[in-house]
Amino acid sequence: MREIAGYIPNIGEESFETKVLLFERNQETIEVEIPILTHEQMSRLIDKIKHSSRKVLKSFSVNELMNIIDEAIHRLLERDSSYRQKAEKVLPIVTGYDEEMIRLGLTSYLKTFRKHELQRFLVEDLGNPLLLDDFQPRVKGGFSKAFSPDLITHIWSGNVPGLPLWSFISSLLVKAGNIGKVSSAEPLFAGWFAKLLVEIEPRLADCFAVLWWKGGEEERERFIFQQTDIVVGYGGNEAMEALRSRIPITKRFLPFGHKLSFGIVSKTSLDSLKALQAAHLAALDVMRYDQQGCYSPHVFYVQKGGNVSPKEFARYIGHELEAFNRRFPRRKLSMAESMEMAAWKNKEEMNLFSNPNNEVLGNNQNDWTVVFEDSDLSLTPSSLNRVVKVKEFDHIEEVTKGLLMHRDYLQTVGIAASPSELFQWSHLLGSVGVTRMTALGNMTSPEAGWHHDGRFNVLDLINMVDIEASAEQLSEELAPYAD
Amino acid sequence: MMTQKEMIESTVQFINCNESSEEDFNQQALQLFRYHYQYNIPYRTFCSQKGKTPRTVKTWRDIPPVPINAFKDVTLSCCDPEQAEAVYMTSGTTQGIRGKHYHPTLDIFDRSMIKNFQERFMGNTDKIRMGILFPTEQEMPNSSLARYLKLAKERFGTEDSRYFIQNHKLDVEGLQKELRNAEVTGEPYALLGASYSFVHLLEELERGNQTFTLPKGSKILDTGGFKKQSKELELDEFYQLLSTYLGVNRSACINMYGMTELSTQLYDNGNQSVPAVKSGPSWIKTRVVNPLTGEEVAKGERGVIVHCDLANMNSVSTILTEDVGVEVEGGFLLLGRVEGTEAKGCSLAMAEFLKASKGLEK
Repeated sequence: MREIAGYIPNIGEESFETKVLLFERNQETIEVEIPILTHEQMSRLIDKIKHSSRKVLKSFSVNELMNIIDEAIHRLLERDSSYRQKAEKVLPIVTGYDEEMIRLGLTSYLKTFRKHELQRFLVEDLGNPLLLDDFQPRVKGGFSKAFSPDLITHIWSGNVPGLPLWSFISSLLVKAGNIGKVSSAEPLFAGWFAKLLVEIEPRLADCFAVLWWKGGEEERERFIFQQTDIVVGYGGNEAMEALRSRIPITKRFLPFGHKLSFGIVSKTSLDSLKALQAAHLAALDVMRYDQQGCYSPHVFYVQKGGNVSPKEFARYIGHELEAFNRRFPRRKLSMAESMEMAAWKNKEEMNLFSNPNNEVLGNNQNDWTVVFEDSDLSLTPSSLNRVVKVKEFDHIEEVTKGLLMHRDYLQTVGIAASPSELFQWSHLLGSVGVTRMTALGNMTSPEAGWHHDGRFNVLDLINMVDIEASAEQLSEELAPYAD
Repeated sequence: MMTQKEMIESTVQFINCNESSEEDFNQQALQLFRYHYQYNIPYRTFCSQKGKTPRTVKTWRDIPPVPINAFKDVTLSCCDPEQAEAVYMTSGTTQGIRGKHYHPTLDIFDRSMIKNFQERFMGNTDKIRMGILFPTEQEMPNSSLARYLKLAKERFGTEDSRYFIQNHKLDVEGLQKELRNAEVTGEPYALLGASYSFVHLLEELERGNQTFTLPKGSKILDTGGFKKQSKELELDEFYQLLSTYLGVNRSACINMYGMTELSTQLYDNGNQSVPAVKSGPSWIKTRVVNPLTGEEVAKGERGVIVHCDLANMNSVSTILTEDVGVEVEGGFLLLGRVEGTEAKGCSLAMAEFLKASKGLEK
């Protein structure tokens, strides 16, 4: 099977140099062919997109754009649409994730971008979405309009299928032209989405491109960034550092680097009935995309004093992970991942010697690992791929005390706690750097309009242009009908 | 239960024995496992966590392999570490913690080295003039490689053999003189040392545009890889350069594969083609496993290398390395270390986290 990735507007070229990536899963293989543009083609492409962004994209009303995106999302949600069927067939081979996990994950993720959620995105950031169409009166006096850049470049990562949609859709909503660089780990989804948009609204054909180049091609990146207004980057901190060094100071860079997330379970959810449910939700967060997301948990802090002890709770999670593994088997790991995981587990087993109260749970195939730890509350990353630690605590301050040093890395906390604890704990967690509190079980499905890493979805992509009240007053005096 | 003295004797006997069957190896390995299980407490904990005890371990293949990293975290020793005659340490790591391997007596290490070296490097030659590209044992008392090279020089080197590294600097001039001298006298010459020192030597020779044609019977032994101490060369290029600049046939360029965590070395029979097949003596066996399940992979498939070294009498016999290999006829191919995993996106893996939070810890 061969699939052409990416999307390139008409720049008067028929053929491009391509790179072929080979993916394999359970004896099924797929060749993904992705175009690579020459310097000269890239230059024409950028001119074309900027031109169309000015002339075409900005002529749409924000409501029209929402309708187009909504239509595309609905086609991806319909199980019998050709795009959806392709995604369900191809993505498991490309990413290695279980078919069922992909199917459920896609649906829950895509729902975030239906029209009424898109409205939420805009209202969340702007209050009044019409700011994107025209000058709107301000409470302070005067008027403002949100102007968008001609070109936003996205450097996407491939850890979670479909992830590029966040920044792609946000940029479209503000009427900016886009160039997206896909990751070789998941090169397809963004290109499909681009094609689908053009099918629905052919006038958008030249407003964006989805392509690939080898990350770190310094000359190419400098050239592109020179002509881009905003660069959005996802990936490791080192990659982000490298990107930053190539972006001119006059441009805006929005990096989404490494993050670490964890769960926290209050004793209020540890009675004999509720604990089972909480463990199920915790395991769900671990299983989803094999912990590859920035919002995936590495540790669960579990409070002592409930009917079910933290150690028992760790066993519950183990049981749930075993059950999940039957339904959604983990993707096949590379040799390096396998070794890292084995080494991690071996190290924990060795630690039992000095910490006899700890427990290392897992099955013979190493499909998952849960480690219970009773004395060390530090936040440590797991080796991923369904490996998690459970640590017990009495008071929330014991947990937050050690988090401050990781401030730059914290993101999501999955919480199961009573209302008063929720607010009290969120206050403490927010003060050490956590930016998102969500329900346990929900860690991998951020709600529409979430503040990614504490920032905004569209606010950082626009410039507010003000007409101050004084200009308006002066204009009144200059009106032909002025008395 | 055996005492340390008895275990040492039994190990010496096994190494000295020239005929040992699979069954003999098995018996010796199980006996050694019982001994480790009894006296090496962290290892016992590790085994019981995996449900492996002398009662359930039936063959040498069942002995739980210890990852080399564990040598950094716990003391894996049957004797009191204070009583050890030598402690060998791994070279520093990212976190500066070094793995430690305790030897209550060096007698076994030495015997293992000598018997094996004689057979695999010296062949029918008793003595050969040697140049050592590595610091002395006095300079590096915690390096098992320093011990190894010292033994090589003392036991198999002629009177004139000498070291060419002083204060961690390669004495290029002295070495060039020595090599010219070998060319003139026609006496076979052996150069032994760390792979990265050879790279430094090659760089110097290239700079001075110097080449040598060492006499027939000359040999090279490199070991240990490049360890970021020199530029990384492709193996093929490395041996081609050695052969070009020193005039030693690639089939006489032997690579020794050793580890601080082992007491026995493995060798190839020259590097005419790379990667060359590696194998060890009768007291060490190597398996290639799937790291997740610990099961052996099919012959010809890639996996992680596990050694069962019966000369490791005081620590643990079975070691899980971080090297990828393939089992082939007559031994295994070493395909290099597993590169650390890069987290694919914005999630954070351990190694990167440690790198990032270095300097944050107060």
